[in-house]
Amino acid sequence: MKSRADFARGKISAEHLKDAEKRATEFWIRRQDELGLDVLVDGEMYRSDMVAYFAEHLSGLEQGGLVRSYGNRYFHKPIIVREVKWTGPITVEWWYYAQRLTAKPVKGIVTGPYTMMDWSFNEFYPTRRDACLALAVEVRKEVEALGRAGCKIIQIDEPAVSARPEELQLAIEAMEVVTADLRAYFVTHICYGDFESIYPGILDLAVDNFDLEMSNSGLDMLRLFSKNHLTKDISYGVVDVHTHLIEDRSVVEQRLKKGLDILPVEDVWVDPDCGLKTRKIDEAEAKLERVVSAARALRGA
Amino acid sequence: MDLLTASHSGYPRIGGSPDEQVLRHTIAQRERGEKTDADVRAAEDHLVLLALQDQEEADLGIVTDGLIRWNDPISYLAAKLEGVRFGGLHRYFDTNFYFRRPVVYGKLVRPRPLVLDELQWAAEKSVRPVKAVLTGPCTLARLLLHEGERRNLASLIFSYAEALSAEVADLAAAGACTIQIDEPCLVKYSSDLPLACEPLALIAARKGNTEVGLATYFGDTSPLYSKLQELPFDTLVFDFTYSQNLRQVIEAEGVPRRSDSGCSTDGTRNSKIKPS
Repeated sequence: MKSRADFARGKISAEHLKDAEKRATEFWIRRQDELGLDVLVDGEMYRSDMVAYFAEHLSGLEQGGLVRSYGNRYFHKPIIVREVKWTGPITVEWWYYAQRLTAKPVKGIVTGPYTMMDWSFNEFYPTRRDACLALAVEVRKEVEALGRAGCKIIQIDEPAVSARPEELQLAIEAMEVVTADLRAYFVTHICYGDFESIYPGILDLAVDNFDLEMSNSGLDMLRLFSKNHLTKDISYGVVDVHTHLIEDRSVVEQRLKKGLDILPVEDVWVDPDCGLKTRKIDEAEAKLERVVSAARALRGA
Repeated sequence: MDLLTASHSGYPRIGGSPDEQVLRHTIAQRERGEKTDADVRAAEDHLVLLALQDQEEADLGIVTDGLIRWNDPISYLAAKLEGVRFGGLHRYFDTNFYFRRPVVYGKLVRPRPLVLDELQWAAEKSVRPVKAVLTGPCTLARLLLHEGERRNLASLIFSYAEALSAEVADLAAAGACTIQIDEPCLVKYSSDLPLACEPLALIAARKGNTEVGLATYFGDTSPLYSKLQELPFDTLVFDFTYSQNLRQVIEAEGVPRRSDSGCSTDGTRNSKIKPS
């Protein structure tokens, strides 16, 4: 963060910033490895924000003013001003850099078309649907590029998908555009919305795994899964990423146990609720340690 | 006919210039232990003054303090009530903004005024009348979680309305020129309206000589238009950008006889500035 702020103030060059981002990526790959995670992420050290970052790298979008996302956190809300175009790989170099640092699989992560559309001002396409489907075509190109680079697990982040239940079919259609006929294991991350309003309809989303913030919502979603069977694998969030509190191991294990009462163990991946970028380093490490510890405890049970 | 111009409610807490980013930086510094609550308060004061100045320069007839001190329309007021703790993050309507969802574990009690101090502070600094804004009982009740026993929406609406009616009485006694009760959930959950009538009347009954308005937004108000007229408010504030048919409904049913009407004419879901 300091390097990014220094870069913004002109104190360091783009090369220095990239070096710092690489060092941070390497640090987190090593730490995830050491902590014992099975599937790693590159930590998105090079991204300011999940939507603004892709908007900066796709043509047709411009940076808008700052809007708030949560608490004291803001992002530059993009503005779609022209036809959206993918002009070349966006995350592939970073994924490849991270993957070379570890023998374990590293997830590729891109922001999905529905969220890109919903969290941008659309001042070009006639309708939200037009904007979303145009973005889907371009996001697919990034997904294809990750696949060509060798990425086998690709996460399409769609936190906005529950914002407007009446547009669920559009989100499903857009995801189909992104993932159809591609050979990868697809995860989608959905968080902090009214999941109840889109379940079980959301099961039609063309992915293999739902990555869900189970802890933040007090495991409420389990009630839904007991009524309507979850037909996807699940990345089951066992730690709340928006609190400084480090949960007791027993609390985290209990959360996971409750999930395994309903979900087949072979369908469950254990992870934090969401990305850990808002946490301090020691907090992020401790929360990841709790994730691994809970999984190990229940594997041995 | 008088055509008044007014600010609706909230104002950005941040802008592009360093001067407009002081609150964000001060809050971040407080998180790191480098600044105090008093520093954050001073930064809020600074931004409130900027918001007032901005609205005065735009020549608005009625301004707000920009709700600069509010984290969001839900948790800010809920945090001032007894009987509430905070749970997980939740999306604010269909926006890209999240708030920490209040969880009600006991009787909602207003131990002290909610916005009176900040309204008085802004009114002292402003040359224009300053409108007080309060989140309405239906909206707060819908976006709270009820711990333990089965959720009883009607009782939660009534309980918060009691707290709000005391706030309205305090604001009126302090000379507030106008108070706006924000009820976006009345549009989203229009079936709540029968539950809302008595609690909203309870609030309006304490207004004294102060004008009290009811604001609906984030949805089409036109199906509720005639029913909203029956509520004892002086002003109804409509969001015309969401209500494509509202103009026709008003033409067909007539303008309010008793009420003034507030019309929001500029959407906030794009970055374009409409030509004057």
